Amino acid sequence: MRERARSADVVISARDIVNRFGRQAVHDGVSLDVMRGEILGIAGGSGSGKSVLLKTLIGLRRPDAGTVLLNGTPIAEAAPAERASQIGVLFQQGALFSSLSVAQNIMLPIREHTDLPAPAQERIAAMKLELAGMPADSGLKFPSQLSGGMVKRAAFARALALDPMVLFLDEPTSDLDPLTASGIDAMIGKLNEGLGVTFVIVTHDLTTLFTLCDRVAVLVDGKATIDSLERLLQSREPWIHAFLHGPRARGAMVARRQAHGNG
Amino acid sequence: MDAMETESTRTLRAPMGLHPPGKSAAPALVVDSRNGTPALRGTLDIHTVTQAERSLEQAWGKGKSRTLDLGGLDRLDTPGALLLCALRKEGVELTGVRSEHQSLLDLICGLDLAPLAKPKSVSRARELVTQLGKAADEAWRDTIDVIAFVARTANAVVYMLVHPTAWRLPSISRQIAETGIEALPIVGLLAVMISVVIAYQGVAQLRPWGGENLTINLVAVSVLREMGVLITAILIAGRSGSAFTAEIGVMKTREEVDALEVMGLDRMQLLVVPRIVGLVITLPLLTFYADMMGLAGGALISHVLLGVQPAQYLVHVRQAVDLSDFFVGLFKAPVFAFVIGVVGCMHGLRVGGSAESVGRETTRSVVKAIFLVIVLDALFSILFEKLGV
Repeated sequence: MRERARSADVVISARDIVNRFGRQAVHDGVSLDVMRGEILGIAGGSGSGKSVLLKTLIGLRRPDAGTVLLNGTPIAEAAPAERASQIGVLFQQGALFSSLSVAQNIMLPIREHTDLPAPAQERIAAMKLELAGMPADSGLKFPSQLSGGMVKRAAFARALALDPMVLFLDEPTSDLDPLTASGIDAMIGKLNEGLGVTFVIVTHDLTTLFTLCDRVAVLVDGKATIDSLERLLQSREPWIHAFLHGPRARGAMVARRQAHGNG
Repeated sequence: MDAMETESTRTLRAPMGLHPPGKSAAPALVVDSRNGTPALRGTLDIHTVTQAERSLEQAWGKGKSRTLDLGGLDRLDTPGALLLCALRKEGVELTGVRSEHQSLLDLICGLDLAPLAKPKSVSRARELVTQLGKAADEAWRDTIDVIAFVARTANAVVYMLVHPTAWRLPSISRQIAETGIEALPIVGLLAVMISVVIAYQGVAQLRPWGGENLTINLVAVSVLREMGVLITAILIAGRSGSAFTAEIGVMKTREEVDALEVMGLDRMQLLVVPRIVGLVITLPLLTFYADMMGLAGGALISHVLLGVQPAQYLVHVRQAVDLSDFFVGLFKAPVFAFVIGVVGCMHGLRVGGSAESVGRETTRSVVKAIFLVIVLDALFSILFEKLGV
């Protein structure tokens, strides 16, 4: 059983978020709080607005109604440097800058936001690579030379560059083989425990949701249901029930029992 | 602990610069070297780690103490932990570590850190020679590729001549609309502008010799023989050649070209030939249109600069130009169209998997198409001179 230092601090608080595309409301009053130190999963069917919610939470998209607070201040008003040191994002395709090597990708935010000398920047970059489970010589490679799993790890290392308090992950294990995906899951757990980073994970991956997440927000019909997995498993809502008790959920359940001792 | 605010206490501030406001105001780090026991207090993070390192060096310069008290440390991040781990490796004893920092320290100190790999440095001269060799090799391959691609296009066209059902008429007509009709306004405007430019130069140069009426000859002949077709071809290379590369390139990155192949369809017949044929039909028509607009621009500017009436202008033009001038210009158009189409499609199919290669190939295709158009035009000038046309 994992034990985490967790307090009741709310890091990010979203209230009554409404997002519309034309007439269709993707989110119709979504409220959720992200607690310091937790791993929060965001799940939902294709087209349920998971990625849009993620964009809203990190301040890339201004919701049509509602507010997002980062440490109590509206995220739209946060200074860019402040926001960058609080929030890290792992984009689905990695979003590594293709013209820079992996090490340069990691050093870019450090170089722009601090006045550390180059050798110190390089030491930090090497440490982030190691934290993300990449060999030090991979820093020389360019994104086009990396495999899918390595792209995710490199993007992870870059997201960690400024030691953010909250790390948002958009589908961190999609397009990966199961072994690589387990490696990414293990890394998330390690960083959550070791660095105390709060994670918000948008994912379809039931194994990630079942083994890693403290709480899960399920998006159905424009609303979010947020609870611990134990309680969600009891839910009578048809989509949530089907999602958590479908044929693919069984394997994830086994993984959960293994990860948690006996569940 | 309260007695720490003594003279030997150094107070450090975080760099103001980009550091988030609010945090930098407080003393970030305090090194107290009283009794020879340094202690870190406040915040040890990416913004303060350099100063901390410097002050610690100074503190240890005097005393022999190899311990560091961390009981007063409020905030610690990974660069800070990295510094502490490096100190620990040098034999410094870290005391009073708070429980919330322990796991971070354990994690960072447990890493097997290797220095960041450096790119191998090559001597300038050697690099120059390598680059030269690479460029030569690439130019050679490029030439072979163009020749091979022309052959493959010809092959596809011959096949389609034998099998008339293979012609994709809807897609050819779409190409004509996109490369031709939509380009009419810009081509016409440019042709008028070019004749204005030539006319102004002609009047300025010929007036001292009293031959300003020869400006009309200058405008008419240069527009019909050279400028009409050249300007149109360059514009179309930028407008449609680039579009060919980008369209086919995006299909390549999204594996659509592979999908065609798997369905047993020929990419040359489906993607390349309709574009090239469309362009070969449109460019002569656009050139004719540019010629007419250029002559119209000449009439306008002759009226303004020389006071020549349109009717007189027409008579003058009729005397100045030969039908061969007109056909020399028009003859070049399909050749240029073929070159632009071949280069555009070839670079489109060369696109690799990534999105950035679409941009790279598009640039190359436009540069190469314009280069070849101008080189061919020069060759044509020499050829027609020798033939006496």
